[in-house]
Amino acid sequence: MNDTTLPPSPGEAPEPDLAPGLTPDLLMRFLDGELPPEERARVERLLAGATEVQRDLLVYRQIHEDLSEIRLRTGGGRRSVWDRVHQRLTRPLGWILLGTGATAWLIYLAWLYLSSATPSWEKLMSSAVVIGILLLFASVIHERYREWLTDPYRDVER
Amino acid sequence: MQPEIERELIRKCRGGDARFYEPIVRAYEPQGLRVAMGMMGNADDARDALQDAFVKAFQSLGRFDTDRAFGPWFFQILRNQCRDLLRSRKARFRVEVVDDGIMEFRSDDDDGSFDRHFRRNDARRLLWQALERLPEDQREILVLKELEGFRYQEIASILDIPEGTVASRLFNARKGLKQVLDQMGVTYP
Repeated sequence: MNDTTLPPSPGEAPEPDLAPGLTPDLLMRFLDGELPPEERARVERLLAGATEVQRDLLVYRQIHEDLSEIRLRTGGGRRSVWDRVHQRLTRPLGWILLGTGATAWLIYLAWLYLSSATPSWEKLMSSAVVIGILLLFASVIHERYREWLTDPYRDVER
Repeated sequence: MQPEIERELIRKCRGGDARFYEPIVRAYEPQGLRVAMGMMGNADDARDALQDAFVKAFQSLGRFDTDRAFGPWFFQILRNQCRDLLRSRKARFRVEVVDDGIMEFRSDDDDGSFDRHFRRNDARRLLWQALERLPEDQREILVLKELEGFRYQEIASILDIPEGTVASRLFNARKGLKQVLDQMGVTYP
């Protein structure tokens, strides 16, 4: 059987640097041990006369060895990922309940206040105080937000 | 984790009880963190991506087919999360940082020779830097194959591409890495 006449896999163009009959697909599967024994033997025969490809394979094998031996520092002493994930999964429910409850109370208190027999001028004065506080609060939030948008260090962690 | 136990936990999580998610998170955290570090280049961004991926996976469990393995599905979410995060951060900073402090070096190397040990560690450091210079799709496939040792079928499932594309992409990635190493003046092997 003349191995060098074997066509590349369907849809795959032969690589100009490779020996005839060898394709990137075959070569990579060979390198990564993803070929059945008979295909493996065929690639070994094809490689026999391809010195350049053999040299490349040697480089890829050494790279594989070095990369697989890299141990990454994952910051083991830090807080577990689960703690943060758990917080993010459970806290939204708490915020929704708190927000809904607080809004319901505010509406109820406002209704009590408006429907009470308190004189109008007293209502006006206390409303002015509450609205003033709310306006100041909103202004501070707005200012902080604008500062945050233009802060060049906003993504720097302490 | 055994597939039956994993399936049972996922069924319970779908009921909204996050407690049953803990064993799954703990089981996939180490590998997930390494994959994310390989893609993001540093531990802090990797942790952010991993947390986001776990949260997204939990929120999407309703759409998850329990006849399939959770791993590839989760790593697909993680990979997308890493890509999104990389895009948003690059768009903002436009800087690339190679984090030398990310690697831990082995002391149980080869024949025990001190010189050889340092040479190999130096080679690994340069290799890591070269990896950072590769395009995103080449880097991610090398991370999945070389750092984590996934099979072609698993990589195809994670990246949602045919197995043939995995092989050709790996070929281009390895070739690309070799070229980068050449440009850096590193001779391999």
